Amino acid sequence: MKSLENYKKAWDNQPDTEDKLSAVDIYKLAQSRSQSIVKWIFIIGILEFVGLNALSSFVDIDAAYAEYKKMGLENFIFYSQIVAYGILFYFLAMFYLNYKRISTTDSTRTLMKKIIKTRKTVRNYVLFNLSYMALIMIVVAIASINTNFNDLTNKQIILIIFATLVATLLILGVLWLFYQLLYGFLLKKLSKNYKEIAKLNDPN
Amino acid sequence: MEKNLENKFLSDFESNQNIVHKICRIYTTNKDAHNDLFQEITIQVWKNYPKFRGDSKFSTWMYRVALNTAISLYRKSTKKIKTQDFSDVAFKIKATAYDDTEEIQLKALYKAIHRLSDIDKALIFLYLEDKPYKEISETLGISNVNARVKMNRAKEKLKNILNP
Repeated sequence: MKSLENYKKAWDNQPDTEDKLSAVDIYKLAQSRSQSIVKWIFIIGILEFVGLNALSSFVDIDAAYAEYKKMGLENFIFYSQIVAYGILFYFLAMFYLNYKRISTTDSTRTLMKKIIKTRKTVRNYVLFNLSYMALIMIVVAIASINTNFNDLTNKQIILIIFATLVATLLILGVLWLFYQLLYGFLLKKLSKNYKEIAKLNDPN
Repeated sequence: MEKNLENKFLSDFESNQNIVHKICRIYTTNKDAHNDLFQEITIQVWKNYPKFRGDSKFSTWMYRVALNTAISLYRKSTKKIKTQDFSDVAFKIKATAYDDTEEIQLKALYKAIHRLSDIDKALIFLYLEDKPYKEISETLGISNVNARVKMNRAKEKLKNILNP
């Protein structure tokens, strides 16, 4: 390490910056708006919660309910929606609590862990929501086949199953892509750094 | 009370701003990014200042907040702005008459550090700032032993970059 010592000496003797800021400049900077990824994670997380729930507002609820009633699904839809809302509030509360726990004064490792955990809460909610949507689509498909069983040809039944599968996969695929982009954009650097620090505590 | 805290923060930060400048110089390679990171660190230090209890030195506490901001909160801008490295500019302005060995070494050192990973940068920075292992391991959140192992590897990497 001898050669490093020379550089260390140069480091110790480096002059103070020529761009020294005055207290007024520092005050102005401190009051400016943060661009930290934690803030973005919070904003995007809230948008996701709101966005996913706004999706249902595009559906004509009365018409949909009439349709569900015809298929004998009104109870299933009603109770599953109560459960889904319960779960939504659980995730929202977890998201907020995890977000609040993020503190820049923690150690680097803990801080990164908390940021990733907060982000994962939203991801898990989205996963839950997608599974819920997929479940409803499948149940509705099965129910509609059941109700109209006598009027449907085999070909039509296969078509319904096929269309449901394609639609489900398409929605999941698009959202997955969107997620990859969002994650890549926000968390690539953080995940890389976290892996590097986590690897240290791994005995191998 | 609020005004008191603000004044105390301003004087603490003003007298320790060199630390922040050095961290910005390590983690960024152009003036715009340097200023961006400096701004984010200032915001984070101010935001967390009420949590600073004063049981450690302000500078010790600030190292952690500033490094955390550089490593975890600040998202490097993906566009690579092709501006001349500003340490080059400062270097050229200086008169040639005096002994500039250390200045050349310092420039080479920063250049070499830029090639390290974010975590290695933090380790090397804390080593250069003469921080004890206890503080280094607490800042990064790794065990003392791991900090030593990782530090040796980081130093080795730096040495290889400096003397290929």
